[in-house]
Amino acid sequence: MPSSPFFVGLDADGAGAHPAAAAVARLAGTDLVSGTRLARTVRQAENAGLTFVSFTDALLPAVPGSPASARLDSVTRAAFVSRTTTAIGLVPQVPTTYPEPFHVAAQLASLDIAAAGRGGWIPSVTRDAATADAYGRAVVGDVAREARDVVQVVRDLWDSWEDDAVIRDVATGRYIDRERLHYVDFRGETFSVKGPLITPRPPQGQLVVLASDGDVAPVLDPAGGAGPLVDVTLVGGSGAATARGNAVAAREHSPLTGIDIEVVLDAGGRTGADRLAVLDASTPAGVRSPWDTSALRHVGSAAGLVALLTELATPGPDGRRPVDGVRLLPAVLDVDLPVLARDVLPALRAARLTAVPRPGASLRESLGLPRPANRYDTRVQADALSA
Amino acid sequence: MTIPVTRPSRPQTHPSRPQTHPDHPDHPDHPDHPSHPITRPAAQVHFGVFFQGVNHTTIWSDPESGSQTDFATFERVIRTAERGLFDAFFLGEGLRLRESRGALHDLDVVGRPDAITQLAALAAITTHIGLVATQNTTYNDPADLARRLQSLDVLSGGRAAWNVVTTDNAWTGANFRRGGYLDHALRYERAQGQLNVARQIWDAFPDSADGAGSPGSSDGGVAHVSEHSDLFDVELDPTTPRSPQGHPVIFQAGDSPQGRDFAAANADVIFSRHGSVLAEALEFAADVRRRAVAAGRPEDDVQIFPGTGIIVGDTPAEAEEKARWVRWNQVTPATALSTVGNIWGEDLSGYDPDGPLPAHDPVVEELGGERGSATTGARTREIAAQWRALAEAEHLSIRELVVRNSSERGFQGTPAAVAEDLVRWVRTGAVDGFNISPWIVPSGLDDIVDKVVPELQERGAYPASYTGTTLRENLGLRAPLTRRAAVGAA
Repeated sequence: MPSSPFFVGLDADGAGAHPAAAAVARLAGTDLVSGTRLARTVRQAENAGLTFVSFTDALLPAVPGSPASARLDSVTRAAFVSRTTTAIGLVPQVPTTYPEPFHVAAQLASLDIAAAGRGGWIPSVTRDAATADAYGRAVVGDVAREARDVVQVVRDLWDSWEDDAVIRDVATGRYIDRERLHYVDFRGETFSVKGPLITPRPPQGQLVVLASDGDVAPVLDPAGGAGPLVDVTLVGGSGAATARGNAVAAREHSPLTGIDIEVVLDAGGRTGADRLAVLDASTPAGVRSPWDTSALRHVGSAAGLVALLTELATPGPDGRRPVDGVRLLPAVLDVDLPVLARDVLPALRAARLTAVPRPGASLRESLGLPRPANRYDTRVQADALSA
Repeated sequence: MTIPVTRPSRPQTHPSRPQTHPDHPDHPDHPDHPSHPITRPAAQVHFGVFFQGVNHTTIWSDPESGSQTDFATFERVIRTAERGLFDAFFLGEGLRLRESRGALHDLDVVGRPDAITQLAALAAITTHIGLVATQNTTYNDPADLARRLQSLDVLSGGRAAWNVVTTDNAWTGANFRRGGYLDHALRYERAQGQLNVARQIWDAFPDSADGAGSPGSSDGGVAHVSEHSDLFDVELDPTTPRSPQGHPVIFQAGDSPQGRDFAAANADVIFSRHGSVLAEALEFAADVRRRAVAAGRPEDDVQIFPGTGIIVGDTPAEAEEKARWVRWNQVTPATALSTVGNIWGEDLSGYDPDGPLPAHDPVVEELGGERGSATTGARTREIAAQWRALAEAEHLSIRELVVRNSSERGFQGTPAAVAEDLVRWVRTGAVDGFNISPWIVPSGLDDIVDKVVPELQERGAYPASYTGTTLRENLGLRAPLTRRAAVGAA
């Protein structure tokens, strides 16, 4: 038996993952950034039993100058819905290439606190020169190095407070035990960070880090065996067999793997193929979009998607699933999410392939990941050595 | 050694007089003093609450003190504030944990969330109260910060504000990519550039943004942002439409002449330090109005909200007793020794907190002590000399001295007396409202909301409901500075 349920995440950005989603769904810029709409969408995703929602993001618009490219900061969006939901994981995409790692670490730790342990992070890389101009910095050439260093230091900072650092010892007047806070003294190739973080250790200890295969160097943290840089590697593939192969390869360096699947479902009396043709014809020229990249794609019926997911979620002869879960990229949220909720997720649950996240559960618990020990806790390390 | 958590174990030799009730009409702070005419007889009192997070005034040793990190604490405070029709909920910003003599300062409340992230979560569970994020201009990238502030503003329906602060030293910079890159003298130049970029970003979407997004359209209309100066080279296309209040409200907290000029030129509200002595507050207000006019703005264009504390009791004696309890709990024996030790530049933890100051003078010229607080090295000897003179004149122990130094803050008395004071402050034109720091969380606002607010309402000096839905409306502010022509033309 698989050790944990097959996870099914959903990207909940904007009007949907297809670059023409807003136009076809007739959503204006103000709709795209509406808090009411955001909260409703994520609540629908939670009610559908999804494991997590991700929030794709970039500092710059998909189409420069277009109000239809309106989008809000991903961590702020995730935090906004942290108190309108109780079970679903909240996973903002935050690039590693130019933002300040100290701020990113504090923002994500704060998200995890507000969400009572349901926070995750997709550290991404930014290759375009326009983003460097927006930051007023030289273009970062080695985005992989930057991603590796930023994820490393963010993880160090999350551990810079031990869980019991706040002692409130009235007898000595000490609020914290300074022995249980740690300077991370990180020295990367392009920057250094002293620490500790301004925010105490997040409820999960470490937020769940999901990354697209290849964005963050797949190395296990060499310092003290503190764990991998990435918890869940997301892979793509031109077909199901390729995607499975990629997932199996990624398993070597990642505790969990998932497949990104673009979905365009039959809906409203139209086939997925018809819908996709309309969407593609409506796509603005020169759009910067994550659609149509390396992700697997399902265009067609809900039953077909159930069959695909069932195949992925069923253990092979070795007793292991080829992949631990998927992240769905819906072409148009308002069209595809209702079909997922009505016709796809109930079927997977009925077959006992997936489970609905329990209210109050952390994202780690929903994914079957343990809460990691603190890399700076010498007491734990002493226990481990003596064990 | 134990710390009294209910009452000081020994009487204070010189209980401080409540500063807002000087008893002689010649005292410049006496209510009948001729320098305090009522100039705004209908002005209303406004409240904000400053959830400090890191400070030495939040009492953590009392059983009533809740977690400083749990979301439930923030939720309780902001719900209380919104019940009391407060205009604003403030969060501070942390860039590096404070240190004392080279080690993490361990005596005070510490550890807090990122302000914008936390306020976004709070936005979803509140409807009217403003959400103010303190954010520095030195170690934030302008495009990123402007976008996050506007994201909060949009999601909250126009309730966000930015409390603009500067910072500059290499000690703080050790947590950031660029390190300590900015000369102290350039900090306000950097702040101005940061604000210029932010305003361009906030103004970039067309007013008719609602109409965009028709099928297949990718019509232009979002302005390109460009800022090039000695300190900035920024080019971008923004993604964030405006909220109903146009721009996040701008607060500013610097008190130096440069800071005041920056506020007079840019801020909607000054978060001032002058919240204890009316004469000082009036002087500050006059100065701010002069500077606002000099900056080409109406003299009432910049509102003033001093940071302050409020302690109420059902009788004057009860208020006095509670105030003393608060101050003695804020200044624990360890805190008293650390505070003096930071000025003396040495570890005084072996000293008796109930005994006298060290007999010798501070051994270092520069302040070796606390990092991440406002005091600078040059003033060490001066401060020590002042403290010694005060301690000798009033026969104060170390702890009594530190309590004495911390006691000139805010308002205390019966709810009615405090309400009278607050109304006078507003109606003499000294301030527009008060930014209250509770001395304990999450319960520290309860007395103010349950007892002081009704007294203000009875006097016709506090609204019975929120007057608007945005922070700008509730504060009665004009349109954002860069949007006045546009609004006027519309």
